[in-house]
Amino acid sequence: MKKAILSLALLGLCIGCSQDKSAPAVALVMKTLNNPFFMDMQLGAEEAAQRLQLPLIVQAAERELDVEKQMQIIENLIQRKVAAICLTPAGSREVIPAILKANRAGIPVLILDTRVDSTALAEAGGKVATFIGSDNFDGGRIAGERIIEKLGGIGRVAILEGIPGHETGDSRLRGFHAAIDKAPGIRIVASQTANWERDQGYNVFQNILQSHPDVQAVFGCNDMMALGAVEAIAAAGRSADILVIGFDAITDAREAIAAGRMEASIAQNPREMGRLAIENAARFMRGEQIPAYIPVPIELVRK
Amino acid sequence: MISGRPVLEMHHIGQVFPGVVALDDVHFDLMQGEVHVLLGENGAGKSTLVKILSGANPRSSGQILLDGVEVRIETPRRAQELGIAIIYQELNLIPALTAAENIFLGREPRRRSGFIDQKRVVTDAQSLLDELHAGIDASRRVCELSVAQQQMVEVARALSLQARILIMDEPTSALTGQEIGELFALIRRLTQRGVSVIYISHRMEEIFEIGERVTVLRDGRHIETRPIAGTSREELVRLMVNRELKEHFPKVRVEPGAEALRVEKLSRRGVLEEISFTLRRGEVLGIAGLLGSGRTELARALFGADPVDGGRIFIKGKPVRIGSPRDAIHQGIGYLTEDRKGQGLVLNLAVRENICLASLARFSRLGWVSRTRESNAASGFVDKLRIRTPGLGQQVRYLSGGNQQKVVMSKWLCSESRILLFDEPTRGIDVGAKVEIYQLMNKLAADGAAILMISSELAEIIGMSDRVLVMCQGRIAGELSAAEATQQKILNLALGGN
Amino acid sequence: MRVKSLFLQHGRQLTTLFVLILLSAALWALSPHFMSLSNWLNIAQQTAINAIIAAGMTFVIISAGIDLSVGSILALSGVVMASALQAGAPVPLALLLCLVVGALCGSANGLLIARGKLPPFIATLGMMSVARGAALIFSDGRPVSGFAPGFRAIANGEFLAIPLPVWIMAAVYLIAHLVLSRTRLGRYTYAIGGNEEATLLSGVNVKLHKTLVYSLAGLLSALAAILLTARLNSAQPIAGMNYELDAIAATVIGGTSLLGGEGQIFGTLIGAFIMGVLRNGLNLLGVSSFVQQTVIGAVIIVAVLLDMMMKKRRS
Repeated sequence: MKKAILSLALLGLCIGCSQDKSAPAVALVMKTLNNPFFMDMQLGAEEAAQRLQLPLIVQAAERELDVEKQMQIIENLIQRKVAAICLTPAGSREVIPAILKANRAGIPVLILDTRVDSTALAEAGGKVATFIGSDNFDGGRIAGERIIEKLGGIGRVAILEGIPGHETGDSRLRGFHAAIDKAPGIRIVASQTANWERDQGYNVFQNILQSHPDVQAVFGCNDMMALGAVEAIAAAGRSADILVIGFDAITDAREAIAAGRMEASIAQNPREMGRLAIENAARFMRGEQIPAYIPVPIELVRK
Repeated sequence: MISGRPVLEMHHIGQVFPGVVALDDVHFDLMQGEVHVLLGENGAGKSTLVKILSGANPRSSGQILLDGVEVRIETPRRAQELGIAIIYQELNLIPALTAAENIFLGREPRRRSGFIDQKRVVTDAQSLLDELHAGIDASRRVCELSVAQQQMVEVARALSLQARILIMDEPTSALTGQEIGELFALIRRLTQRGVSVIYISHRMEEIFEIGERVTVLRDGRHIETRPIAGTSREELVRLMVNRELKEHFPKVRVEPGAEALRVEKLSRRGVLEEISFTLRRGEVLGIAGLLGSGRTELARALFGADPVDGGRIFIKGKPVRIGSPRDAIHQGIGYLTEDRKGQGLVLNLAVRENICLASLARFSRLGWVSRTRESNAASGFVDKLRIRTPGLGQQVRYLSGGNQQKVVMSKWLCSESRILLFDEPTRGIDVGAKVEIYQLMNKLAADGAAILMISSELAEIIGMSDRVLVMCQGRIAGELSAAEATQQKILNLALGGN
Repeated sequence: MRVKSLFLQHGRQLTTLFVLILLSAALWALSPHFMSLSNWLNIAQQTAINAIIAAGMTFVIISAGIDLSVGSILALSGVVMASALQAGAPVPLALLLCLVVGALCGSANGLLIARGKLPPFIATLGMMSVARGAALIFSDGRPVSGFAPGFRAIANGEFLAIPLPVWIMAAVYLIAHLVLSRTRLGRYTYAIGGNEEATLLSGVNVKLHKTLVYSLAGLLSALAAILLTARLNSAQPIAGMNYELDAIAATVIGGTSLLGGEGQIFGTLIGAFIMGVLRNGLNLLGVSSFVQQTVIGAVIIVAVLLDMMMKKRRS
């Protein structure tokens, strides 16, 4: 019995290391913590918070798509009475009930990276302070144009999609198609989801290679999937003749580009997003006006 | 091939288990190249003695000499090192591995790299099997082999361990006639090589065919050791059973009433063969027979727990179909199983819940159980059967064996069974509780219930039955009236004699 | 004597309750936001979904089984209901449809186990994949979202200032308790888990009751799907992943033995609350999700260890 109490007390001590600060804090709620994109975002936010001397709480679900867990986190942050919530929605529509709850509690919500379904939000009577992010459609279009240019306007292309029904992936995809549609010589031979994940990117592209060994380029709607494809291509010994373009320009992707294993990636600059989120949250809390859309510039990263 | 000196001598062997003296001052010796038969009733102490030799019962008293040198056998591993191997009734092989892999399990020859030398495993195993004239391909998997072949593999494994003393516990129980012949040929080849065999079997004809000497145990004591040549079967049976009746049976005889149950040619392939009998109200019909003679299988078939291939069952003169325990209970049959904890009780349910388990429908409406009616019924049985429990809500796991057995009986009384199948009703129960259970059987019979009682205790069978059926190898070997039933006659029938 | 017998009967639940109280006290000391009515209602709401699934899981585990498919059944019944709602079906009909889909998946599990003699682990592992795949096929992989306020009221409505999901959870537990302690189904669930052979030999229709137990687990998963869908205003085909593990954890923390035959429904409720309080508290404290997983795992182990120690002491 004593031992049990002791062990619980020890547990309490562990938790106690992260004491609940009483100053009004800003919360950054991300999709997950185990994706380099979000780690960069966290880094940018932390730098800004330190500079502004704002307490910052960073939370995320264990899995990227766990909307219910993200909702619980937001509910709990409302209980904790944070001053503002910067949120990367795990689902464009699923997150709306949570935004409504924050609205009711009078806590401003700043959306990052992934847009909320604006019609649904308006219908539900919710509001967000701003959207800070890049235009994913534009990014997809830039990727498409790069592939057209590298293939000289003729070739076979495969796409690794994100999870269907998610705004981020859908916009990138639409942007990519918009570019490709203008080049009649480019044919899309396969377009399948790899659920944003690296290992699935590997497997799915390996399967595509089986059915379309003549594929010349692949566009991954994020770098994780694109990097999976890079590995699959290397394993097939085809590194020299298949172009890979990813999205997000995470560190691993930048290294792969520098090493010539990957053609290019679209840089969204998550660190900048994190910084802008905290700075604008601070401005909003001081009662200043902030624009409804704060664009974060996109660039093509290549060798 | 018997040479003059004993390989093994056991003196003053004793073994006490909590509350039971399993072995008391037993002597046993074994010559080189001899087949020495160990004979006795169930519970006479054969297995206990064999377990001492195999290191499974390290806490025995007495002296064991191997080649005249005293040894202590504390673990099965030590027994192995001393060259003692045992082949159990249930074979200890791993079905998914090959014969060769089983033979060398745990002692695989290795290459210098540390990997198993597969080739040597197979060639060594094959030469062992060939020495035994086993005719088995060492690279075949054990699950593809017949029981007899698996036994050969076990023997080969024992030989690969340099076994000099081989203990075989009922090795022929699952073999066909031809396979038995092959096994005996194998045993003879082994003894010619100087291996000594301790052979345990109930089958008289085998004992006379293969054995050289026999030691009879009874109630944990050494009765006699003698050469088999010149001994008669009747003498051996007398040695096995000759004992005074220690228990008193409070049997009350009731004039049997109308026919309650009639069975005609009930058969189940390989288990039961054309069983026919009649059971009347107020009657206790004893079923005797050795382990594996089909006693329990008969009860299970009557209760619908096992399927049957043929035969008819009549209850109160009407033919009935019993396809499941539910059907049987519907027909007023109750089955007190041999394995009380494994099949009779739900140990972590309360006394009340166990008593009412088979008749819960009566205490409930639309699935909703009336606790009051249930408790009333249960407490009635607790009083009537004098079940000693702190309360109706007590988990039955905390009750003594006798009280647990009374709970099971209550379950069947509660379900208003009029035909009761009692399988070993007093096993593992102290003397006082036994007498209570006998009295209860009297009362049930007087009330007009029909009881079929299976028991391994011959004294109980004789003391409590109005009639006795003796089973042997799935058949009814004979029927004895209460007046003519003696232990000797029953055992004689059970061993396949006339 | 009275107290002692009370402890003997409910000792396990009391231990679990003790752990919950200890945990709450610790969090109260660490965070000023923890001990408030609104936070407790918040916790109760967040716990409701897992608790409802775990109630079904408790039946299954008491019967000495396991159900790995609850999360997938939740996803499938959720998307079917959501599609029906979007096709214009009246809310009661859609809810009924959802419950029927869940119960059917559950009874498929039950039939495979009781009649097909498949081990529960295998049968429900298969169903986990089948139902997940069916949910993805049915919804074309996309979330189905946007429902009428009447439907969403199931999750955000209140009665007597307490959110509806909390009432639903309370009702589920009250009914589950009565079923488990006062009906034949409940009695047979314990009996089958304690000793299937003895139960069969007592004339109980074991196959039927096993099937009923798994159907109940499916039904409760579907009920959880209703709450989840209304809460998120969206039914996702990938919803409910790993929910089976949460439900099993709540059940085991609550003192139900994985060997079957033993367990109390309110223990499971407390177990679910322990997990909910822990997640909430760690969020309030701003602990990272990596640390959260570790802590929750540790609490599961400590709770079960504590129980084993108490048990040893009692016997």
